[in-house]
Parts: sequence; C-alpha cells; structure tokens
Amino acid sequence: MRERMGDQTMKDLTVCVGSSCHLKGSYPVLKTFERLIKEEHLGDKVTLKASFCQGRCMQGLSITLDGEPVEGVTIVNAEDVFRSRIMPQL
Amino acid sequence: MDLFADIAYESLHKYGEELCGDKVEFTRTDDFALAVLADGLGSGVKANILSTLTSKIIATMLSSGATLDEAVDTIASTLPVCSERGVAYSTFTIIHVDNDGKTYLAEFDNPELVYLKDGVVTPFDRREETMSGKQIFISELQLSEGDMLITFSDGVVHAGVGSLMDLGWQYDNIVKFIRENITGQMSPLEVARKILLAVNTLYMQKCGDDSTVCVVKMKQNTPVTIMVGPPVDPASDEIVVKKLMENPGKKVVCGGTTSQIVSKLTGKELKVSIDYENPAVPPTATMEGIDLVTEGVLTLGKALEIIKTLKDAPEEKWDTFTLNKKDGATRLAKMILEESTQVHFLVGRALNPAHQNPEMPISLGLKLNLIKELAALVSSMGKKVKLDYF
Repeated sequence: MRERMGDQTMKDLTVCVGSSCHLKGSYPVLKTFERLIKEEHLGDKVTLKASFCQGRCMQGLSITLDGEPVEGVTIVNAEDVFRSRIMPQL
Repeated sequence: MDLFADIAYESLHKYGEELCGDKVEFTRTDDFALAVLADGLGSGVKANILSTLTSKIIATMLSSGATLDEAVDTIASTLPVCSERGVAYSTFTIIHVDNDGKTYLAEFDNPELVYLKDGVVTPFDRREETMSGKQIFISELQLSEGDMLITFSDGVVHAGVGSLMDLGWQYDNIVKFIRENITGQMSPLEVARKILLAVNTLYMQKCGDDSTVCVVKMKQNTPVTIMVGPPVDPASDEIVVKKLMENPGKKVVCGGTTSQIVSKLTGKELKVSIDYENPAVPPTATMEGIDLVTEGVLTLGKALEIIKTLKDAPEEKWDTFTLNKKDGATRLAKMILEESTQVHFLVGRALNPAHQNPEMPISLGLKLNLIKELAALVSSMGKKVKLDYF
C-alpha cells in the first residue's frame, strides 16, 4: 500500500503542447482539465503541467499521468476521459 | 569597441505613382556597413531607374574597394539622359560605417544629413570636393553607441507644398521636429516612420513627391544564435549544442525535440509553461542559460507573419505596431528585430517522425522554407544573417 502522505499523493498530469499536439487541441484540453481540477477541488492531488513533444504523436493528443500514457484524448472527450479514467486514479 | 550600424528606411510614393523615385541600397560585410540613398530626377519609372542604378552602382563599387571618384565617374557616364530635361541626374548620400564607428559620408544634392550625438542634433564639418564636375560634400565622423544619422530625400523638405504649406516643411523645421520628437530609445524604423507620418500629414495623404527617410543607429553588437530542429545525424547533436552555448550573445531554441536535446546535453531542466499568452501560439518554456525556448514550426511561422506585417504595414498603421505581447512568436520577433543586430541560425534538418502523419499539415520542406524566408526577410531589414545547416 502506498503511503498517502504529503507530496507522495500528488500526481503530475502532463499535456503535450508540441507542434503536432497543439494542432490537435492542447489548448482547449488544458483549459478543460484546469476547469475540472478547480471544480472537483483536486488542486492538492494533481499538478497540471505542459511538456514539449513526448514522442508519441501517432496516438492522439499526448497526455500522461505520472508518466503513464492516457491515450485517445481529444477536445471532444477530454471531460469524459478526465472523469472516467483520470479522476479514479487520483 | 565592436559596434553595429542598424539601418532602416521607409518611403512614401508620390501620389498616384506605382514606383518610388527614391532608392536606398545597403550592403554589409564583416568590416563595414554601407547605405546609399539616391533620389532620381522626376518621378515614376524614370526616377526609379535613375535612383536604382545610382544606388546600386555606388554600393557595389564601394563595397568591392573602388574609390568614390571612380563610382561617381561611372554613374556620370552610365545614367541614361532624360529626354525632357536633357540631363542624367540622381542625387545621393553615402554612409559608410566601419565596425569601430569610423564613418565616412559623401553627400551630393540631397538635404543635409542630420547627426544625433547622444540624442542631440550636432553640426559637423563638411569639405567640398569636385568629382566629374559634381560638387560633393565629404565628412568624417567618429560614431559611438546610440548615435544616429538621419538622411532624407527632398520630398521630405517639400512636404506640404501645394496644400498646407506655401514653402513646404523646410529643412530647419525638420531638424526642429527631429530635436523634439526623436529619442535615443527609438529603433531606426520607428524614427523613419515617425518623420514620414508627419510628411504624409503635411501632404494631406497625397504626397507631391517621393519621400524617403533612411536612419542609421549605432548599437552595441549583440548577436543572437537560434537553434532550430534536430540535426540529421544524432552524432552532431553535441557539436550543434556546443556551438549554441559557445556563441556570444543571446541564445534561442525553437522546437520541442530540439529543446529536449539541448536540455539533455547541458543537463539543465526544461520547464514548459502552461500559460497561453495567445491560444494560437504554443506556450514557451524556460531553461537555464537559454534566453528563449519555444515550440518550433508553428511559432516560427507566426513570427515570420508578425515581422512581415510590421514591415509591410500601410502608413496609417505605422504607429500602432509594437512587439510587446508575451507569446513565443512575438518574443522571437522582438528578439530578432529589436534586441539583436545579427542572427545566426543553426538549422537541423532531421525528419521529425511526429510530423509524418496525415493529421500534421506541416512538412519538413515547409519548415526549412519558412526559415529561409525568415532569414531573407530579416536580412532585407538590415540585420546580418548567417545560416548553418546540420
């Protein structure tokens, strides 16, 4: 069992803002995540970060949660993905 | 001291004319910068040909080592004679600035050049010489950082003739305008445009004569090195990054993969910002030792667009363009245009696998063309540009 103490529970949610992902919608997705983190009061559980190219441009918008890829995210399903696949892990 | 002559010019055409009868030509070598302002007799095509020939001949001959005497003689025997007036004629002002600030001026029939030393209009000695029957005024100056030379064609002096002013703007009033309105903080392009905006107003937006202002401002030589794109051969990564870090002056890295290479080799952390200053431009990043880190092709494309818009702005928009926004593209444009004097591109030509998919409308060729276009544009605006490919 992981100790739920201090920084150890803090996870990094990283969205790629490189050229390819930018065109796929990094900006609206980042804004959606930012809004949801605020709405769900998750500010102490997750840090939203940006990165340049993660080298996985072929799998849709490149997003990772603590280094683990969250695949298939688009502008349209960003909120669903956050609620169904990211929130349970926090 | 290593100085750089920042040169900019702008022209207003005579109302109704497609071509300008004034021409500014400049060349640059490692040791000096040379600017020639010529004003051809008449207006339109004829004047354009006369001034183009004059400025081009002088610039080419002087920069390849000919004497002024020889250049003037060549012009006198080359220029086509005007059928109406029976003379072949174009005025000229020559500004030749060495990298140490030593300056040689030759003026023929243009309004006298204005010299600003520490922001103050300063008179200087001229000696008269006769070459091929022409009275030419020669002067020598020692320029230092911040000094400015402003030269203009007679369209500026005559501004307003026939509309608002009986006698035109007149030389003394222009000098007064310069004294009151031009400060040491302005870039040469701003100065040229400020004067021409006044000219345009005096002519009531319908210039009676071609009007051109050319401004030379002495700056501390500040190079900027821009690394863009990963090298084709990963073995060269180290060489390129070493070049970037060892080059004097400011450093810029454009490109996601490229910045990761730099981060890996220098051991400095790359921190990408999530703050979008402008949703159309991907955010920038920070890295110790690098002045600006941006995404690659989209930011470059946008920066090119910004510089183009600034250069080609119609006169009614001259005073509204500033490079004060904080997005990556504007910061890149500002760094190239205002904060540096020479630009060295280190261009990597590796194919980005990330871009090889149908969703990515950007090809490698497009990126390289973008850089080429940017380099040509910046060089046409008076910067010294160097491109190295890896």
